[in-house]
Amino acid sequence: MAFRKVLAVKTARFVNFVSKKLGKQGVTMAGKYALKVYPNLLRDLSKEVREKIYVTCGTNGKTTTNNMLANFFISEGKKVICNRTGSNMLAGVVSAFVLEADSKGHIDCDVAVIEIDEASARRVFPHFKPDYMVLTNLFRDQLDRYGEIDITMNLLNEALDMAPDCELIINSDDVLVASFAEKSGHKYTTFGISEPCDENPASTTEIREGRFCMFCSSQLEYDFYHFSQLGSYHCPKCGFKHPQIDFNATNISLSKGLKFTIEEKKDGEVVKTRDIDANYRGFYNIYNILASYSAARYGGMELKGIDPILKDFHPENGRMESFKIGSTNVLLNLAKNPAGFNQNISAVMEDDSDKDLIVVINDNAQDGRDISWLWDVDFERFKGANVKSIVVSGLRAYDMQLRFKYSEIKSKAIMDVGDAVKYMLKGHTDNLYILVNYTALYSTRNMLKSMEKK
Amino acid sequence: MSEKMELTIGHLYPDLLNLYGDRGNIRCMVKRLNWRGIGATVKEIKINDKIDFSELDIVLLGGGSDREQKLVCEKLSEIQKDFKEYVENDGVVIAICGGYQLLGSYYQMGDEKIEGLHLVDLYTIQGEGRLIGNITIQSDIIEMPITGFENHGGRTYINDTKPLGKVVTGYGNTDEKGYEGIVYKNVIGTYLHGPLLPKNPQLTDYILKKALEKKYDREVVLKELDDRHEIRANQYAQTRG
Repeated sequence: MAFRKVLAVKTARFVNFVSKKLGKQGVTMAGKYALKVYPNLLRDLSKEVREKIYVTCGTNGKTTTNNMLANFFISEGKKVICNRTGSNMLAGVVSAFVLEADSKGHIDCDVAVIEIDEASARRVFPHFKPDYMVLTNLFRDQLDRYGEIDITMNLLNEALDMAPDCELIINSDDVLVASFAEKSGHKYTTFGISEPCDENPASTTEIREGRFCMFCSSQLEYDFYHFSQLGSYHCPKCGFKHPQIDFNATNISLSKGLKFTIEEKKDGEVVKTRDIDANYRGFYNIYNILASYSAARYGGMELKGIDPILKDFHPENGRMESFKIGSTNVLLNLAKNPAGFNQNISAVMEDDSDKDLIVVINDNAQDGRDISWLWDVDFERFKGANVKSIVVSGLRAYDMQLRFKYSEIKSKAIMDVGDAVKYMLKGHTDNLYILVNYTALYSTRNMLKSMEKK
Repeated sequence: MSEKMELTIGHLYPDLLNLYGDRGNIRCMVKRLNWRGIGATVKEIKINDKIDFSELDIVLLGGGSDREQKLVCEKLSEIQKDFKEYVENDGVVIAICGGYQLLGSYYQMGDEKIEGLHLVDLYTIQGEGRLIGNITIQSDIIEMPITGFENHGGRTYINDTKPLGKVVTGYGNTDEKGYEGIVYKNVIGTYLHGPLLPKNPQLTDYILKKALEKKYDREVVLKELDDRHEIRANQYAQTRG
């Protein structure tokens, strides 16, 4: 089969070359064709990973967490394979491996760090069994694709059943994740934030998932929420409760970047602490950092060299990515579901200076064709955020405009994103936030990049 | 005549049936009442609350996941009699998606038969695959086409009950007959969310008018609102088939 493997590698390289020439985003085509040439490709290549395979799943924070985890391993001197662009279905995972293979069809890799779409895990796990799965959170997302969270959990469970030795690194503040881990029977470690954070501008009226116990269906009681359903919970009836936190964030400060201390615990006792000073914004990024840190530590890494990674972090994937166009500072951020959007609003509110806002909403297949979720986002909170003007854009700009209208917030509809940005560059605050959902991300980002160069 | 009118909207089990932006439907009704100087109170009825239907002018029953819907079903049998009386006395009900299915006699899911509320002559059977996508229907109770999004595994058979409208694009109650939803007395049942009401202002106003007329026992003429944005969103959504 060596011949077919080599042919598959060549095919992948060729397809990747052509699609790059054609200016196509994403690397999924290479993996798709390579797998057609040699169906055992991913199985063979992944066997050559010398140490461990990590996968990252969860509704929000996958790409940020997974890429950070990859950087952590690189700082430990490891050779890493990672699907950095966030192409997280089977073809994207294959691409990540095959494009790293040499002409003989071999990879040079210590650790594979792979993000996988929750619904795709069951298609990937027949090819390799991961050693660890990081599970960030479970929120409602793209309803028409997955149906609902229960279905997502079933799909994820189906995948985990194929990898019985896979250990989980879970966000224990998310009752859905914790219940899922407990039910799965897999060994797990936990990360979380054990106390409420005063500086976190959380919404109080958010839609929360998982209000009912997954074991006995009684209503859960919460001591507090961080955001969405993340918080401290217990079931008054059957005794199910928030598991002990093994990696706990404490002493949190959000004012200049993110500062906090991670306490590592064994049997409830703090055995090690670590101060984190990160050039990130948004409370939710504490969870992403915690997830990566816990995963690497749990896998036995010392993590002595991660300070520069956290300090010099410059996002380049449209997650809080900044641009300077003329005199205007532009911050682009992906927001594709209510939990993500509410967190984005919190992040915008952390900046108390005057600002303008563009919201771009598409309803292509990858976004979820159903845009009902816009009404589950607490857009009213923009009223207290010094937002001077708002433009709505994208395929469902008019729906977004209605959403604002019914919160008594004025907005202008400009369907074309380029026109919307140009409109905001002149005579406005020079402090522009652009929130986009998935399919609008790359086009908007490319456009901002080219505008920045001029 | 100059009395200030007001309505009380009961949102049934928002802690369980809150899929698909149902909060948008509530918000839409409240705003369209307030913009006309009419008062609106929303009562969120949680799963363990007792419902006094005599306090409610509009009841909204939304959709939830299958697991959550089953939890609701157990509760509903306790209030069935009161709910039936409310409906038969021309109480206004908007039932969407899962809530729509609950109006009927049962929902057959494979071997499992979930008992419904028996408020409207209809029943639902889980079919092969889900019916998902944008949908537009034409109703005879209002002029504007009603547009929204549907996502349901159940096929709803409505016997001789009047449908809400004829399917223009999309699936509707079943994928065969070409009709969507039901209208029975002042009950509207439909698979359309999106959410349903903001993009369909005529339907919202139809519902509000019915509720006001029932409560105040006289003809009510609603003040016109500037609906240009709503109409534009409605017309655009029709093209997203």
